[in-house]
Amino acid sequence: MKKLLTLLFFAFLMISSNARADIDASKAENFIKNVTSQGIEELINSDVSEAEKKARFTKLFNEDLDLDFIGKFVLGRYWRTATPKQRKEFIDVYRKLNIQAWSERFNEFKGRHFEFLGTEKAKSKDNDQVYVNTQVPMPEGAPASVKWRVKETNGKMRIVDIIIENVSLAITAQKEYTSYIQKSPNGIDGLISDLKAKIK
Amino acid sequence: MNKITKFIYVLLGCCLLIKPAMAAQDDDEDSALESYNRAVFTFNSVADYFVIKPIAKGYRAITTEFIRERVHDFFENLKEPASMINHSLQGNFSESGNSLGRFAVNTTLGLLGTFDVASGWGLEKNKTGFDKTLASWCVPDGPFFMLPFLGPSTPRATAGWVADTASDPLYWANYYTHFGDDWQRYTFYYGITALGFISLREENIELLDNLTANSVDPYATIKAAYIQNRLKINACAPEGQQNDNSYDFDFDEKYDE
Repeated sequence: MKKLLTLLFFAFLMISSNARADIDASKAENFIKNVTSQGIEELINSDVSEAEKKARFTKLFNEDLDLDFIGKFVLGRYWRTATPKQRKEFIDVYRKLNIQAWSERFNEFKGRHFEFLGTEKAKSKDNDQVYVNTQVPMPEGAPASVKWRVKETNGKMRIVDIIIENVSLAITAQKEYTSYIQKSPNGIDGLISDLKAKIK
Repeated sequence: MNKITKFIYVLLGCCLLIKPAMAAQDDDEDSALESYNRAVFTFNSVADYFVIKPIAKGYRAITTEFIRERVHDFFENLKEPASMINHSLQGNFSESGNSLGRFAVNTTLGLLGTFDVASGWGLEKNKTGFDKTLASWCVPDGPFFMLPFLGPSTPRATAGWVADTASDPLYWANYYTHFGDDWQRYTFYYGITALGFISLREENIELLDNLTANSVDPYATIKAAYIQNRLKINACAPEGQQNDNSYDFDFDEKYDE
Protein backbone atom coordinates (compact mmCIF):
# COMPACT_ATOMS: atom_id res chain seq x y z
CA MET A 1 0.00 0.00 0.00
CA LYS A 2 2.78 2.35 0.94
CA LYS A 3 4.59 1.50 -2.24
CA LEU A 4 1.52 2.14 -4.28
CA LEU A 5 1.06 5.51 -2.63
CA THR A 6 4.67 6.49 -3.29
CA LEU A 7 4.25 5.39 -6.87
CA LEU A 8 1.08 7.41 -7.20
CA PHE A 9 2.80 10.37 -5.58
CA PHE A 10 5.66 10.24 -8.07
CA ALA A 11 3.30 9.68 -10.93
CA PHE A 12 1.40 12.77 -9.82
CA LEU A 13 4.61 14.75 -9.52
CA MET A 14 5.64 13.76 -12.98
CA ILE A 15 2.31 14.62 -14.49
CA SER A 16 2.11 17.98 -12.80
CA SER A 17 5.70 18.86 -13.59
CA ASN A 18 5.07 17.80 -17.14
CA ALA A 19 2.04 19.99 -17.42
CA ARG A 20 3.94 22.90 -15.98
CA ALA A 21 7.04 22.43 -18.11
CA ASP A 22 8.08 25.55 -19.96
CA ILE A 23 7.87 25.44 -23.70
CA ASP A 24 11.05 24.10 -25.26
CA ALA A 25 12.38 26.91 -27.48
CA SER A 26 14.47 24.71 -29.76
CA LYS A 27 11.52 22.38 -30.28
CA ALA A 28 9.41 25.40 -31.21
CA GLU A 29 12.03 26.54 -33.68
CA ASN A 30 12.11 23.11 -35.27
CA PHE A 31 8.34 23.18 -35.47
CA ILE A 32 8.42 26.47 -37.41
CA LYS A 33 11.21 25.12 -39.61
CA ASN A 34 8.96 22.20 -40.48
CA VAL A 35 5.91 24.36 -41.10
CA THR A 36 7.76 26.82 -43.34
CA SER A 37 9.60 24.20 -45.36
CA GLN A 38 6.38 22.24 -45.77
CA GLY A 39 4.62 25.41 -46.87
CA ILE A 40 7.31 26.32 -49.35
CA GLU A 41 7.73 22.84 -50.81
CA GLU A 42 4.11 21.73 -50.92
CA LEU A 43 2.42 25.03 -51.66
CA ILE A 44 4.63 27.69 -53.13
CA ASN A 45 7.05 25.68 -55.20
CA SER A 46 4.97 22.67 -56.17
CA ASP A 47 3.30 22.31 -59.54
CA VAL A 48 -0.21 21.37 -58.48
CA SER A 49 -3.53 23.01 -59.26
CA GLU A 50 -4.71 26.04 -57.26
CA ALA A 51 -7.52 23.93 -55.79
CA GLU A 52 -5.04 21.32 -54.55
CA LYS A 53 -2.86 24.08 -53.12
CA LYS A 54 -5.80 25.48 -51.24
CA ALA A 55 -6.67 22.02 -49.90
CA ARG A 56 -3.11 21.51 -48.70
CA PHE A 57 -3.01 24.95 -47.16
CA THR A 58 -6.29 24.35 -45.35
CA LYS A 59 -4.85 21.21 -43.81
CA LEU A 60 -1.63 22.94 -42.78
CA PHE A 61 -3.57 25.88 -41.39
CA ASN A 62 -5.96 23.75 -39.36
CA GLU A 63 -3.23 21.57 -37.94
CA ASP A 64 -0.64 24.17 -37.11
CA LEU A 65 -2.60 27.25 -36.08
CA ASP A 66 -4.39 27.36 -32.77
CA LEU A 67 -7.51 29.02 -34.10
CA ASP A 68 -9.53 28.54 -30.92
CA PHE A 69 -6.92 30.49 -29.02
CA ILE A 70 -6.49 33.15 -31.70
CA GLY A 71 -10.23 33.57 -32.17
CA LYS A 72 -10.67 34.15 -28.48
CA PHE A 73 -7.96 36.82 -28.47
CA VAL A 74 -9.28 38.46 -31.59
CA LEU A 75 -12.77 38.98 -30.15
CA GLY A 76 -11.12 40.65 -27.19
CA ARG A 77 -13.47 41.75 -24.46
CA TYR A 78 -16.47 40.64 -26.50
CA TRP A 79 -15.46 36.99 -26.12
CA ARG A 80 -16.74 37.06 -22.58
CA THR A 81 -20.22 38.19 -23.54
CA ALA A 82 -20.49 35.95 -26.61
CA THR A 83 -22.74 32.89 -26.37
CA PRO A 84 -21.20 29.46 -27.06
CA LYS A 85 -23.01 29.43 -30.41
CA GLN A 86 -21.62 32.85 -31.36
CA ARG A 87 -18.13 31.76 -30.33
CA LYS A 88 -18.28 28.65 -32.44
CA GLU A 89 -19.70 30.49 -35.44
CA PHE A 90 -17.13 33.25 -35.14
CA ILE A 91 -14.16 30.88 -34.99
CA ASP A 92 -15.56 28.93 -37.90
CA VAL A 93 -15.99 31.97 -40.16
CA TYR A 94 -12.68 33.50 -39.00
CA ARG A 95 -10.95 30.28 -40.01
CA LYS A 96 -12.55 30.30 -43.47
CA LEU A 97 -11.78 33.96 -44.05
CA ASN A 98 -8.13 33.52 -43.12
CA ILE A 99 -7.74 30.53 -45.38
CA GLN A 100 -9.30 32.52 -48.21
CA ALA A 101 -7.17 35.63 -47.59
CA TRP A 102 -3.91 33.69 -47.44
CA SER A 103 -4.67 31.44 -50.37
CA GLU A 104 -4.83 34.48 -52.63
CA ARG A 105 -1.29 35.41 -51.77
CA PHE A 106 0.86 32.29 -52.22
CA ASN A 107 2.43 33.60 -55.38
CA GLU A 108 3.94 36.61 -53.66
CA PHE A 109 6.13 34.20 -51.78
CA LYS A 110 7.63 32.48 -54.79
CA GLY A 111 11.41 32.28 -54.66
CA ARG A 112 11.61 33.47 -51.05
CA HIS A 113 12.96 31.61 -48.06
CA PHE A 114 13.15 32.00 -44.29
CA GLU A 115 16.31 32.56 -42.29
CA PHE A 116 16.13 31.52 -38.64
CA LEU A 117 17.45 33.97 -36.05
CA GLY A 118 16.81 32.11 -32.82
CA THR A 119 14.07 32.39 -30.25
CA GLU A 120 12.88 34.86 -27.67
CA LYS A 121 10.75 34.44 -24.59
CA ALA A 122 7.13 35.47 -25.00
CA LYS A 123 5.24 36.69 -21.98
CA SER A 124 2.69 34.07 -21.02
CA LYS A 125 1.07 32.93 -17.83
CA ASP A 126 2.22 29.31 -17.99
CA ASN A 127 5.47 29.99 -19.83
CA ASP A 128 3.98 27.97 -22.65
CA GLN A 129 4.73 30.48 -25.42
CA VAL A 130 7.84 31.51 -27.29
CA TYR A 131 8.76 33.65 -30.28
CA VAL A 132 10.64 32.09 -33.15
CA ASN A 133 12.42 34.90 -35.00
CA THR A 134 12.89 34.64 -38.74
CA GLN A 135 13.55 36.96 -41.62
CA VAL A 136 12.84 36.82 -45.33
CA PRO A 137 15.47 38.35 -47.63
CA MET A 138 13.80 40.75 -50.06
CA PRO A 139 14.83 41.61 -53.63
CA GLU A 140 15.78 45.09 -52.46
CA GLY A 141 16.45 46.73 -49.15
CA ALA A 142 16.47 45.14 -45.73
CA PRO A 143 15.01 41.67 -45.13
CA ALA A 144 11.44 41.50 -43.82
CA SER A 145 11.17 40.34 -40.24
CA VAL A 146 8.69 37.59 -39.43
CA LYS A 147 8.16 36.49 -35.84
CA TRP A 148 6.14 33.40 -35.01
CA ARG A 149 4.45 33.12 -31.67
CA VAL A 150 4.26 29.46 -30.74
CA LYS A 151 2.20 27.98 -27.93
CA GLU A 152 2.39 24.46 -26.59
CA THR A 153 -0.86 22.90 -25.47
CA ASN A 154 -0.86 19.31 -24.20
CA GLY A 155 2.42 18.59 -25.90
CA LYS A 156 1.29 19.95 -29.27
CA MET A 157 2.96 23.03 -30.75
CA ARG A 158 0.76 25.50 -32.55
CA ILE A 159 1.16 29.00 -33.98
CA VAL A 160 -0.86 31.65 -32.14
CA ASP A 161 0.37 34.78 -33.92
CA ILE A 162 2.53 35.88 -36.83
CA ILE A 163 4.20 39.28 -36.58
CA ILE A 164 5.35 40.66 -39.92
CA GLU A 165 7.47 43.82 -39.81
CA ASN A 166 6.22 44.46 -36.29
CA VAL A 167 2.58 44.06 -37.37
CA SER A 168 0.84 41.35 -35.39
CA LEU A 169 -1.92 39.64 -37.30
CA ALA A 170 -3.78 38.88 -34.07
CA ILE A 171 -3.68 42.46 -32.79
CA THR A 172 -4.64 43.87 -36.17
CA ALA A 173 -7.63 41.53 -36.38
CA GLN A 174 -8.58 42.32 -32.80
CA LYS A 175 -8.62 46.06 -33.53
CA GLU A 176 -10.66 45.49 -36.67
CA TYR A 177 -13.28 43.30 -35.00
CA THR A 178 -13.65 45.18 -31.74
CA SER A 179 -13.91 48.47 -33.64
CA TYR A 180 -16.57 46.89 -35.85
CA ILE A 181 -18.61 45.51 -32.95
CA GLN A 182 -18.46 48.86 -31.17
CA LYS A 183 -20.06 50.57 -34.14
CA SER A 184 -22.39 47.82 -35.28
CA PRO A 185 -25.98 47.92 -34.02
CA ASN A 186 -26.12 44.12 -34.20
CA GLY A 187 -22.96 43.47 -32.21
CA ILE A 188 -21.28 40.11 -32.59
CA ASP A 189 -24.09 38.69 -34.72
CA GLY A 190 -23.63 41.58 -37.15
CA LEU A 191 -19.92 40.85 -37.29
CA ILE A 192 -20.47 37.16 -37.93
CA SER A 193 -22.94 37.76 -40.74
CA ASP A 194 -20.71 40.40 -42.35
CA LEU A 195 -17.73 38.07 -42.16
CA LYS A 196 -19.81 35.31 -43.73
CA ALA A 197 -20.64 37.65 -46.59
CA LYS A 198 -16.91 38.06 -47.25
CA ILE A 199 -16.47 34.34 -47.93
CA LYS A 200 -16.58 33.65 -51.63
CA MET B 1 11.89 76.59 -49.78
CA ASN B 2 10.94 79.10 -47.16
CA LYS B 3 7.41 77.81 -47.15
CA ILE B 4 8.56 74.24 -46.74
CA THR B 5 10.84 75.07 -43.84
CA LYS B 6 8.01 76.91 -42.13
CA PHE B 7 5.68 74.00 -42.65
CA ILE B 8 8.18 71.62 -41.11
CA TYR B 9 8.56 73.86 -38.06
CA VAL B 10 4.82 73.94 -37.62
CA LEU B 11 4.58 70.16 -37.88
CA LEU B 12 7.48 69.65 -35.51
CA GLY B 13 5.78 72.01 -33.12
CA CYS B 14 2.73 69.78 -33.32
CA CYS B 15 4.82 66.70 -32.57
CA LEU B 16 6.42 68.27 -29.53
CA LEU B 17 3.25 69.75 -28.11
CA ILE B 18 1.47 66.46 -28.13
CA LYS B 19 1.64 64.79 -24.79
CA PRO B 20 3.38 61.43 -24.82
CA ALA B 21 0.06 59.99 -23.62
CA MET B 22 -1.39 60.94 -26.96
CA ALA B 23 1.25 59.01 -28.85
CA ALA B 24 0.16 57.11 -31.91
CA GLN B 25 0.07 53.78 -30.13
CA ASP B 26 -2.62 55.03 -27.81
CA ASP B 27 -5.72 52.97 -28.11
CA ASP B 28 -8.38 55.52 -27.41
CA GLU B 29 -8.48 57.60 -30.50
CA ASP B 30 -9.86 61.07 -29.96
CA SER B 31 -13.38 60.78 -31.31
CA ALA B 32 -13.25 64.07 -33.20
CA LEU B 33 -9.98 63.02 -34.79
CA GLU B 34 -11.40 59.62 -35.60
CA SER B 35 -14.43 61.02 -37.40
CA TYR B 36 -12.12 63.32 -39.37
CA ASN B 37 -9.83 60.37 -40.18
CA ARG B 38 -12.70 58.18 -41.25
CA ALA B 39 -14.07 60.95 -43.48
CA VAL B 40 -10.70 61.39 -45.18
CA PHE B 41 -10.37 57.63 -45.48
CA THR B 42 -13.75 57.42 -47.23
CA PHE B 43 -12.75 60.29 -49.50
CA ASN B 44 -9.47 58.53 -50.35
CA SER B 45 -11.26 55.24 -50.99
CA VAL B 46 -13.69 56.89 -53.39
CA ALA B 47 -10.91 58.78 -55.19
CA ASP B 48 -8.95 55.57 -55.36
CA TYR B 49 -11.84 53.50 -56.65
CA PHE B 50 -12.86 55.92 -59.39
CA VAL B 51 -9.59 57.56 -60.39
CA ILE B 52 -6.31 56.37 -58.92
CA LYS B 53 -6.73 52.61 -59.09
CA PRO B 54 -8.11 52.66 -62.67
CA ILE B 55 -5.09 54.74 -63.73
CA ALA B 56 -2.75 52.34 -61.93
CA LYS B 57 -4.40 49.43 -63.73
CA GLY B 58 -4.12 51.27 -67.02
CA TYR B 59 -0.46 51.88 -66.32
CA ARG B 60 -0.01 48.17 -65.67
CA ALA B 61 -1.84 47.33 -68.89
CA ILE B 62 0.33 49.51 -71.12
CA THR B 63 3.71 48.71 -69.57
CA THR B 64 5.78 45.57 -69.19
CA GLU B 65 7.24 44.49 -65.90
CA PHE B 66 10.67 45.53 -67.19
CA ILE B 67 9.52 49.09 -67.79
CA ARG B 68 7.77 49.27 -64.42
CA GLU B 69 10.96 48.16 -62.71
CA ARG B 70 12.89 50.94 -64.51
CA VAL B 71 10.30 53.48 -63.36
CA HIS B 72 10.49 52.10 -59.83
CA ASP B 73 14.28 52.30 -59.79
CA PHE B 74 14.19 55.85 -61.17
CA PHE B 75 12.04 57.05 -58.27
CA GLU B 76 14.00 55.08 -55.72
CA ASN B 77 17.19 56.76 -56.94
CA LEU B 78 15.67 60.19 -56.35
CA LYS B 79 15.41 59.28 -52.66
CA GLU B 80 19.15 58.68 -52.28
CA PRO B 81 20.01 62.34 -51.51
CA ALA B 82 17.48 62.24 -48.66
CA SER B 83 19.08 59.02 -47.39
CA MET B 84 22.53 60.56 -47.68
CA ILE B 85 21.59 63.66 -45.67
CA ASN B 86 19.67 61.74 -43.04
CA HIS B 87 22.26 59.02 -42.50
CA SER B 88 24.63 61.91 -41.72
CA LEU B 89 22.14 63.52 -39.35
CA GLN B 90 21.85 60.15 -37.60
CA GLY B 91 25.62 59.91 -37.38
CA ASN B 92 25.98 57.00 -39.81
CA PHE B 93 28.64 58.53 -42.02
CA SER B 94 29.63 55.34 -43.81
CA GLU B 95 25.99 54.74 -44.77
CA SER B 96 25.79 58.34 -45.89
CA GLY B 97 28.79 57.74 -48.15
CA ASN B 98 27.10 54.58 -49.40
CA SER B 99 24.00 56.58 -50.42
CA LEU B 100 26.17 59.21 -52.10
CA GLY B 101 28.02 56.50 -54.02
CA ARG B 102 24.78 54.86 -55.05
CA PHE B 103 23.34 58.16 -56.25
CA ALA B 104 26.47 59.02 -58.24
CA VAL B 105 26.78 55.58 -59.86
CA ASN B 106 23.10 55.05 -60.58
CA THR B 107 22.45 58.55 -61.90
CA THR B 108 25.29 58.24 -64.42
CA LEU B 109 25.99 54.59 -65.30
CA GLY B 110 22.51 53.58 -64.20
CA LEU B 111 21.01 55.95 -66.76
CA LEU B 112 19.32 58.51 -64.48
CA GLY B 113 18.70 55.85 -61.90
CA THR B 114 16.59 53.60 -64.07
CA PHE B 115 19.02 50.76 -63.38
CA ASP B 116 20.36 49.94 -59.95
CA VAL B 117 23.95 49.23 -61.00
CA ALA B 118 25.35 50.15 -57.60
CA SER B 119 23.80 47.15 -55.83
CA GLY B 120 25.82 44.91 -58.09
CA TRP B 121 28.96 46.71 -56.90
CA GLY B 122 28.22 46.02 -53.27
CA LEU B 123 26.65 49.40 -52.59
CA GLU B 124 23.44 47.99 -51.13
CA LYS B 125 20.37 50.11 -50.82
CA ASN B 126 19.78 51.38 -47.32
CA LYS B 127 17.03 53.96 -47.30
CA THR B 128 16.39 56.40 -44.52
CA GLY B 129 14.65 59.74 -44.21
CA PHE B 130 13.98 62.72 -42.00
CA ASP B 131 11.25 60.84 -40.15
CA LYS B 132 13.82 58.32 -38.90
CA THR B 133 16.19 61.16 -38.04
CA LEU B 134 13.46 62.77 -35.94
CA ALA B 135 12.80 59.40 -34.30
CA SER B 136 16.49 59.12 -33.46
CA TRP B 137 16.23 62.55 -31.81
CA CYS B 138 13.33 61.22 -29.72
CA VAL B 139 10.69 63.41 -31.36
CA PRO B 140 7.36 61.70 -30.54
CA ASP B 141 5.28 60.41 -33.38
CA GLY B 142 2.03 62.18 -32.52
CA PRO B 143 -1.46 60.88 -33.20
CA PHE B 144 -2.46 58.83 -36.18
CA PHE B 145 -4.13 60.79 -38.94
CA MET B 146 -5.22 60.32 -42.52
CA LEU B 147 -3.86 62.59 -45.21
CA PRO B 148 -5.99 63.26 -48.28
CA PHE B 149 -4.68 61.09 -51.17
CA LEU B 150 -1.53 60.08 -49.28
CA GLY B 151 -3.20 57.90 -46.67
CA PRO B 152 -2.14 56.95 -43.14
CA SER B 153 0.32 59.27 -41.42
CA THR B 154 1.36 60.98 -38.21
CA PRO B 155 2.69 64.52 -37.68
CA ARG B 156 6.26 63.21 -37.52
CA ALA B 157 5.83 61.08 -40.64
CA THR B 158 4.39 64.08 -42.47
CA ALA B 159 7.22 66.35 -41.33
CA GLY B 160 9.65 63.69 -42.56
CA TRP B 161 7.90 63.41 -45.87
CA VAL B 162 7.90 67.18 -46.47
CA ALA B 163 11.58 67.49 -45.54
CA ASP B 164 12.49 64.58 -47.81
CA THR B 165 10.60 66.23 -50.65
CA ALA B 166 12.87 69.24 -50.23
CA SER B 167 15.91 67.02 -50.81
CA ASP B 168 14.37 65.41 -53.86
CA PRO B 169 16.40 66.33 -56.96
CA LEU B 170 13.16 66.78 -58.90
CA TYR B 171 12.15 69.60 -56.55
CA TRP B 172 15.41 71.42 -57.21
CA ALA B 173 15.33 70.72 -60.92
CA ASN B 174 11.90 72.30 -61.08
CA TYR B 175 13.26 75.29 -59.17
CA TYR B 176 16.37 75.90 -61.21
CA THR B 177 15.63 74.82 -64.75
CA HIS B 178 14.08 77.30 -67.09
CA PHE B 179 13.08 75.49 -70.22
CA GLY B 180 9.86 76.30 -72.04
CA ASP B 181 7.00 78.28 -70.59
CA ASP B 182 6.17 77.98 -66.93
CA TRP B 183 3.14 75.80 -67.57
CA GLN B 184 5.18 73.45 -69.75
CA ARG B 185 7.79 73.05 -67.07
CA TYR B 186 5.18 72.54 -64.37
CA THR B 187 3.34 69.97 -66.46
CA PHE B 188 6.61 68.16 -66.97
CA TYR B 189 7.63 68.01 -63.31
CA TYR B 190 4.17 67.40 -61.89
CA GLY B 191 3.71 64.73 -64.55
CA ILE B 192 6.80 62.95 -63.29
CA THR B 193 5.63 63.26 -59.69
CA ALA B 194 2.23 61.83 -60.66
CA LEU B 195 3.95 58.92 -62.40
CA GLY B 196 5.80 58.15 -59.17
CA PHE B 197 2.50 58.12 -57.31
CA ILE B 198 0.83 55.84 -59.85
CA SER B 199 3.84 53.54 -59.91
CA LEU B 200 3.60 53.14 -56.14
CA ARG B 201 -0.14 52.49 -56.35
CA GLU B 202 0.41 49.86 -59.06
CA GLU B 203 2.85 47.99 -56.84
CA ASN B 204 0.19 47.73 -54.15
CA ILE B 205 -2.86 46.74 -56.19
CA GLU B 206 -3.01 43.16 -54.89
CA LEU B 207 -2.17 44.03 -51.32
CA LEU B 208 -4.92 46.63 -50.99
CA ASP B 209 -7.43 44.50 -52.88
CA ASN B 210 -6.77 41.62 -50.55
CA LEU B 211 -7.08 43.87 -47.54
CA THR B 212 -10.35 45.49 -48.52
CA ALA B 213 -11.86 42.20 -49.68
CA ASN B 214 -11.21 40.49 -46.35
CA SER B 215 -11.71 43.24 -43.82
CA VAL B 216 -15.02 44.33 -42.30
CA ASP B 217 -13.47 47.66 -41.25
CA PRO B 218 -10.56 48.51 -43.57
CA TYR B 219 -9.96 51.79 -41.75
CA ALA B 220 -9.44 50.00 -38.44
CA THR B 221 -7.24 47.37 -40.08
CA ILE B 222 -5.01 49.90 -41.84
CA LYS B 223 -4.75 52.06 -38.75
CA ALA B 224 -3.82 49.12 -36.51
CA ALA B 225 -1.20 47.84 -38.95
CA TYR B 226 0.25 51.30 -39.57
CA ILE B 227 0.62 52.12 -35.89
CA GLN B 228 2.30 48.81 -35.08
CA ASN B 229 4.68 49.21 -37.99
CA ARG B 230 5.54 52.75 -36.83
CA LEU B 231 6.55 51.44 -33.41
CA LYS B 232 9.49 49.82 -35.15
CA ILE B 233 11.09 53.22 -35.66
CA ASN B 234 10.35 54.59 -32.20
CA ALA B 235 13.97 54.55 -31.17
CA CYS B 236 13.35 56.31 -27.87
CA ALA B 237 10.24 54.50 -26.67
CA PRO B 238 10.60 53.47 -23.05
CA GLU B 239 12.01 50.02 -22.52
CA GLY B 240 9.43 47.33 -23.11
CA GLN B 241 7.12 49.60 -25.04
CA GLN B 242 8.87 49.22 -28.31
CA ASN B 243 7.77 45.92 -29.60
CA ASP B 244 5.57 43.27 -28.45
CA ASN B 245 3.90 44.82 -25.56
CA SER B 246 1.33 46.68 -27.55
CA TYR B 247 -0.48 43.53 -26.62
CA ASP B 248 -0.80 41.25 -23.75
CA PHE B 249 -1.23 37.77 -25.00
CA ASP B 250 -1.86 36.53 -21.57
CA PHE B 251 -5.50 37.11 -22.00
CA ASP B 252 -6.71 33.98 -20.27
CA GLU B 253 -7.27 36.01 -17.16
CA LYS B 254 -8.54 39.05 -18.97
CA TYR B 255 -11.13 37.57 -21.22
CA ASP B 256 -12.13 34.26 -19.71
CA GLU B 257 -15.09 33.95 -17.45
